[in-house]
Amino acid sequence: MLFAWFMLGGLIFLFAPQGLTNKFQFAFARTFSWPLGIGRSVTLAARKPAATELVSRREYDLLQNHLANVTQQRDQAYQQIKKLSDLSSRFPFEGAKWVLAGIITDSVDESRNEFIIDRGAEDGLAKEQFVLGDNSIIGTISDVSARRAKVRLFTHPASNIAVKIAELDVSRLMQGTGDNSAKIRLLPAKHKVKTGDTVYAYKKPGFLDAPMIVGKVAQCKRDDENPSVWDITVKPVCDIERLNDVAIIVMD
Amino acid sequence: MRWFRFAALVILATILQTSLIDIIAFSAAEVKPNLLLILLVFFAVHCGSTDAIITSFTIGFAADIISSTMGPQIISFGLFGTLLADMYHIITIRKWPYQSLAIFITGFLTAALAYFLNFFKAEPVASNIYTELFWTPLYSAIVGPFLFFPAELWMRTQRQRIRRF
Repeated sequence: MLFAWFMLGGLIFLFAPQGLTNKFQFAFARTFSWPLGIGRSVTLAARKPAATELVSRREYDLLQNHLANVTQQRDQAYQQIKKLSDLSSRFPFEGAKWVLAGIITDSVDESRNEFIIDRGAEDGLAKEQFVLGDNSIIGTISDVSARRAKVRLFTHPASNIAVKIAELDVSRLMQGTGDNSAKIRLLPAKHKVKTGDTVYAYKKPGFLDAPMIVGKVAQCKRDDENPSVWDITVKPVCDIERLNDVAIIVMD
Repeated sequence: MRWFRFAALVILATILQTSLIDIIAFSAAEVKPNLLLILLVFFAVHCGSTDAIITSFTIGFAADIISSTMGPQIISFGLFGTLLADMYHIITIRKWPYQSLAIFITGFLTAALAYFLNFFKAEPVASNIYTELFWTPLYSAIVGPFLFFPAELWMRTQRQRIRRF
């Protein structure tokens, strides 16, 4: 009888709305934020960067990502100037608020595609907002409580982000694989794409004013089922495991 | 059953699982032992039927708290923890190779059921299913028996266990 009651409880949890059940996860993160934070710091300290680098890989990635973002913003500003039709338009990210947040905990699943941060709705966070790590987009807010939020990385299988590759002015959806990478499919093979090309998150009104770097093309091959389109694998451009904090873009 | 000690042990294991356990993760797939799985098997083979049901579902709840979705692990841990406790009346698991085997098989079954329930719930499932089904249970099976001794000391079940066999 006891077993049946517990099993019923498990089924209720299984079919309850995720917004409701996430409250338990936020409560755990809030209650044990101190030991979880210490544990994460110790783990990060244990993973030392390679000693042979003149400049740390993280700093290098950070600057490269910043350069890619500024280049995109400059290009967009040039296009706006060329149009000369809307002189009152504002510059990208003008008026946007950048909320810094500390990472409390990763999900325990091996793929590590989600984590909880120490900022929430009280700080202006809302679902679908973009999250940056080392100047590159790493994911979006998937759930929010008053003082905590859950970040879903773009490598999560449920993540779908509109992206463009390098200078191609074609938007395609990028879906996570759950294996620290994401896939871009249905891009016709007539477009020139090569390994190492930068992938940008496409601008999204109300959430992202200008394209921002999200990753780099790690592999580009013809799709097995339909050779007329590319099967592109994208890898993040920052070491997400080493991140201590992230920034969230809160647009006005 | 010492419930306060049980609660402290589960909370400690849950916190360690989300943070410090990463230090001993290996390979690019980040394979790491599942402390909650080890605890599940430990309590299933050390408790009576009623206590095993409660501990199994509680540990499953803790596993769900630190995973993406709530529900799959409560059901899978509860079901297989209870089954293991019932089997323990028929098959004794005294030596560490058998304990390792029990951890591996339980880990495989719980991961498979949780995967199916996630699929059933139309939740996205990770592509690295082999890690969850095979490598994590295997790593847990190797580490598990070494953690049984401190767990026995903490729960003070050593004497009871010796008397039983």
